[in-house]
Amino acid sequence: MLNRLLFKNQDKKQLVIAIIGAFLGITFLITSIHYLIKVNEFGEGNDILGPNTIIVQKKVTNLISKNDFTPAEIDKIQAEEFIQDVKPVQANNFDVSFETADPMVPYFRTETFIETVDPAFLDVKSDKWHWQEGDEFVPIIMPRDFLVMLNTFMSTEGIKQVSDELAMDVNFKFTLHKGDRKTWVNARIIGFSNQIAAILVPESFMNYGNSNFSNGEEKKITQVMIMGKENEFGLVEELLAKRGLETKNSEMVIGRLKSVVGTLFFVVLGISVIAVFVSGLVLIQYMQLLMSRNAYEVRTLMRIGYHPSILIRRFFRYFLKIFGIVAALGMGVFLLFKIFLDRMFESGGLFIDTQITFYSILALIISYFLFGLASYLNARKGIYREFN
Amino acid sequence: MHITFDKIMPFPLASIRHGEESIWGRKVVLEPGKHILLNASSGKGKSTFTTTLFGLRDDYEGTITYNDRDIRSFNAGDWTDIRSRKISVVFQDLQLFPSLTVRENLVLKNRLTGTFTEEQLREKLAFLEIEDKWEQRCGLLSMGQQQRVAIIRALAQPFEWLIMDEPFSHLDEANSQRCLKLIDERCRELNAGFVLTTLGDSHQYTYDYELKL
Repeated sequence: MLNRLLFKNQDKKQLVIAIIGAFLGITFLITSIHYLIKVNEFGEGNDILGPNTIIVQKKVTNLISKNDFTPAEIDKIQAEEFIQDVKPVQANNFDVSFETADPMVPYFRTETFIETVDPAFLDVKSDKWHWQEGDEFVPIIMPRDFLVMLNTFMSTEGIKQVSDELAMDVNFKFTLHKGDRKTWVNARIIGFSNQIAAILVPESFMNYGNSNFSNGEEKKITQVMIMGKENEFGLVEELLAKRGLETKNSEMVIGRLKSVVGTLFFVVLGISVIAVFVSGLVLIQYMQLLMSRNAYEVRTLMRIGYHPSILIRRFFRYFLKIFGIVAALGMGVFLLFKIFLDRMFESGGLFIDTQITFYSILALIISYFLFGLASYLNARKGIYREFN
Repeated sequence: MHITFDKIMPFPLASIRHGEESIWGRKVVLEPGKHILLNASSGKGKSTFTTTLFGLRDDYEGTITYNDRDIRSFNAGDWTDIRSRKISVVFQDLQLFPSLTVRENLVLKNRLTGTFTEEQLREKLAFLEIEDKWEQRCGLLSMGQQQRVAIIRALAQPFEWLIMDEPFSHLDEANSQRCLKLIDERCRELNAGFVLTTLGDSHQYTYDYELKL
């Protein structure tokens, strides 16, 4: 009865417009925050190399230019203040091929390059990054491009794509050979990196291959691994430009891609915040309009003995309920959106973590809280204005 | 509850010349339980008296006190308590809710204090010969019928004072008498006083004393 009295004289058209605005704002707000975070997180933590670590080589400008590093050049890089560590990347000095050895994935075989780096650069436990003759398998770290390539291949074959975790269960095999002499060693992926272009193996495996299957040529150091100090990685990039060095392009492509998608979602986030703010404002204005249209009822109720707080609560709860419905609808549509977008990212080879971000929920809670607060203060002001 | 008007002069009435007996500008005490007639011609401030006493306006000089407490110091909680338990009013413009039925208008007030049952409210309507209007919207009633609803609504709470601003202006003599009987019974039941403002007609009611404006 009280609600019928207080919420008559409504202009539903204005209310519906405000609700639609708030609904769109909330939906895009949650969506943009979720994907802004997920895109920024993409690749982080999955890379087995540290965050400030890159593998560099010299830019090849012509066929006769030198592309190997001398010990003096390595020392010079190490001497820079912003460099934490520099170590040569050791490559194989023997013939090696790599093949799948698992019914889960289609068979393929390829001649390959393997490399080893100082374990200090790897985010992997030492007992996992270890091999000796007789072990069941040799642990390897794969370039992430390999997984993209494998999934593209499997997709064209109509086979379900594999995630990082699944790929780590696939059995592979190395064949080391020199002339007619051959040996096979099982291999298992223990991690991925965007930084590398060859398969990384433990130093003991590299030594084993070089000792037993070496082709006799002295292997030059053509790549070094650089670890920059925290927050000074920009200086490392300057150093690369100054010394004519280059790093693997894919990492830069991913970086640029993340930057573009991130910027896009950031713009959507900005628009969403404005939309939520404006629609919230319209809802608040609508409340003011409603109170002024029902001013007689509000005033009379207080004159016959209703406490202002009873009426404030009615208006506050009414609008809280409206915004609650808007928030629930927004969340529901976001979840539907998410299914669609996650599938779209997955089909594009981007395995974005599908768990809902805490910050999306937090944004929803904060929006709800701020709207609730604004509603309460507005209702209070409006009711007390009629109190006399 | 003692109500004291201490040299009250509403600003809109300040320019009017008031007689020596007028309560405006003098000290007047409304003694608890007394039945008072407030007699004045149009424009002398009968509604101003009601609304000022009830805390609805603040445009006056002087002090109004309830039991020696200045009503200007009251907060929303104090007024809510006063309006639902100490002083009840029949406004000149009635202040009913035209979109609600008679039942809803009465229940809306009555449920604040649970003073009457719905049956008792219906009995009072029957006494004033408008029981058939129970489910009718107030906006569709005649002014006389609305006045009777407003009187019953004012009775549907505990009170120490009942202030009535020309409550019988649209009622014939027989209906006025029935209303006065109902009011008198309720005031005696609660040992409450009342102030009846009128344009000069005492409706043959015996009152304790008369105030003039």
